[in-house]
Amino acid sequence: MVDLTTKIGPLRFKNPVTVASGTFGVKDELKDFVDYQKLGAVITKTITLHPRPGNPMPRICETPAGMLNAIGLQNKGLFEFVENKIPYFRKNRIPLIVNIAGESTADFSRMARALDYHRKSITALELNLSCPNVEAGGVRAIREKKLIAKTIRAVRKNTRLFLFAKLSPELGDVLESVREAVRAGANGVSLINTVRGMAIDIRSRRPRIWAGTGGLSGPALRPIALRYVYEVKQAMPQVPVIASGGITTWEDAVEFLIAGADLVAVGTANFVNPRATMDILSGVRVFCQKEKIKSIRELRGSLVSYRRS
Amino acid sequence: MHDETVTVLENRKVNAKYFKISFRSKHLASGVEPGQFVQIKVREGWDPFLRRPFSYYRIRGERIEILYEILGRGSELLSKLTKGDRLQVMGPLGRGFSREIRGKKRILVGGGVGVPPLVFLAERYGCDRFYIGTKSRHEVMPLSEIRKFHSRVFHTTQDGSYGVRGLVTGPLEVWFKKDDFDPEAYFIQTCGPTRMMERVMEIASHFGVEGEASWEERMACGVGVCLGCMVWTHYGWTCSCTEGPVFQFEETPPRETWAVR
Ligand SMILES: Cc1cc2nc3c(=O)[nH]c(=O)nc-3n(C[C@H](O)[C@H](O)[C@H](O)COP(=O)(O)OP(=O)(O)OC[C@H]3O[C@@H](n4cnc5c(N)ncnc54)[C@H](O)[C@@H]3O)c2cc1C
Ligand SMILES: Cc1cc2nc3c(=O)[nH]c(=O)nc-3n(C[C@H](O)[C@H](O)[C@H](O)COP(=O)(O)O)c2cc1C
Ligand code: FES
Repeated sequence: MVDLTTKIGPLRFKNPVTVASGTFGVKDELKDFVDYQKLGAVITKTITLHPRPGNPMPRICETPAGMLNAIGLQNKGLFEFVENKIPYFRKNRIPLIVNIAGESTADFSRMARALDYHRKSITALELNLSCPNVEAGGVRAIREKKLIAKTIRAVRKNTRLFLFAKLSPELGDVLESVREAVRAGANGVSLINTVRGMAIDIRSRRPRIWAGTGGLSGPALRPIALRYVYEVKQAMPQVPVIASGGITTWEDAVEFLIAGADLVAVGTANFVNPRATMDILSGVRVFCQKEKIKSIRELRGSLVSYRRS
Repeated sequence: MHDETVTVLENRKVNAKYFKISFRSKHLASGVEPGQFVQIKVREGWDPFLRRPFSYYRIRGERIEILYEILGRGSELLSKLTKGDRLQVMGPLGRGFSREIRGKKRILVGGGVGVPPLVFLAERYGCDRFYIGTKSRHEVMPLSEIRKFHSRVFHTTQDGSYGVRGLVTGPLEVWFKKDDFDPEAYFIQTCGPTRMMERVMEIASHFGVEGEASWEERMACGVGVCLGCMVWTHYGWTCSCTEGPVFQFEETPPRETWAVR
């Protein structure tokens, strides 16, 4: 038997396989394909304080080995989530990481406080500090780096929950952002969110998605995500990392683990293969068995360098 | 909902524009309602990346048929498959057309590749009249495909090469204008190009005829997790892959008003 148990600070996960926010619904949408209890954790679609209608259509567009999206954080708001979704995860004992975003620091604080009240049913919070698709005041301003620290501090003051700060290369110097996030009170980071891209319909000459640009995700994003996870883990091995960016097969997941990822989040792959998480989980397990790896810890951060040290 | 690797039984051209592909699957064929669809991965690997949505066209026992046209790369690749090739198919997805239409008579209005799911509907539950609009006679459904209710079909072609010249809404309007037409007695079910369906809805609302339309939106997941396939309804953006693709006329305001949200 391979030991896939993954410890992150005080948290303990059955295995390192989780899902990327916004690609797995808010409840049990994929129950026909996925045994939710087998997952290391479930990360929800971003929840905001108030309901958000989301962007006009078109919101998605296929690109080479990936897609662009500009959903605009459509969600039913915190109240609905707390009322209708949290009980489901608690009842079924599914480790839940709640992804939140606010239009202001105050929003973030209020959400953190409300969720802290339910902390027995929640494993951790993931702060979406990097959604490329929302132009409304506060969320957009998060792109300015100093706001990251301010937001995290505000959240930290209001909850004892474990905090992951979800960052994107769009913020500029990722290493610096990670440092700042940790200094401000984040316990870990999620790397990476989508990177903005564009596609144009040459006949209508319109952008292929309404918002003009959208976040690139899927296999096309993977090498970039892997690089960031690796660089951050090299510089700060003690900082827990949830990796996302094109993880589609078990081989991809193993790659990220070798680069040092603590959890591997399956995102866009769920759209193409609804069983992706299950396939990845069993693939990783079989790989470890074949390679005689007894514990996932042996794999994590085990990159072999060409250079002699 | 199932996701299965199926084997292509047959894939051939049925007229100048449409292809028909068939495969067998117990799970994908059971409990399907006309208007529901499948998500097809036209080939392995990440190019093209996403699955493609296609409506069920016909089910005979465990044999499933899809009627499709070549629009871009995905459907082109689909058309290249031959007997024995493997294909990843997920379904049945979405909510189909209403079976119960408040005791009214069924009027079907289809255009382009919106016709196949309506043929499925007509074969299963019958119809009073079936209006089919196409660009030219080259795209008209082969008679062999609509034999069962051919006598009730009214054809229009934009170039006049088959049936009545003009848009499919032409003859519909002529009929609605007749003195003895009773709007309460009929229910429209439509599927086809957006412009066509909007025109149908306009006329329907003008004459007071109820109905429902099947909308075609771009999709990624097909199962309600990406939120990429929204249709604007009176209660906000609504997921067309799970709540649709069929929506009641009165649920959806005119499309030109959507983008302003
Ligand atoms: C519920 C539903 C049922 C459908 N049923 C049928 C059917 O029975 N027969 C048939 O021929 N076609 C049907 N379509 C349309 C079919 O999905 C598109 O023709 C197909 O996706 C085109 O893919 P492509 O790679 O050839 O085109 P490309 O233009 O290369 O596709 C690029 C991207 O845009 C999407 N896309 C392009 N056109 C459409 C479209 N019209 N609707 C939705 N997405 C589109 C593709 O899925 C893909 O993600 C249906 C669509 C929906 C939403
Ligand atoms: C359709 C879609 C919606 C997403 N929504 C969110 C979201 O609400 N919050 C968030 O933090 N990330 C969101 N993401 C980003 C993913 O969680 C993930 O970080 C990113 O897509 C990269 O991983 P992937 O390539 O495996 O999808 C979304 C991605 C996609 C494709
Ligand atoms: S296609 Fe993903 S939500 Fe409908």
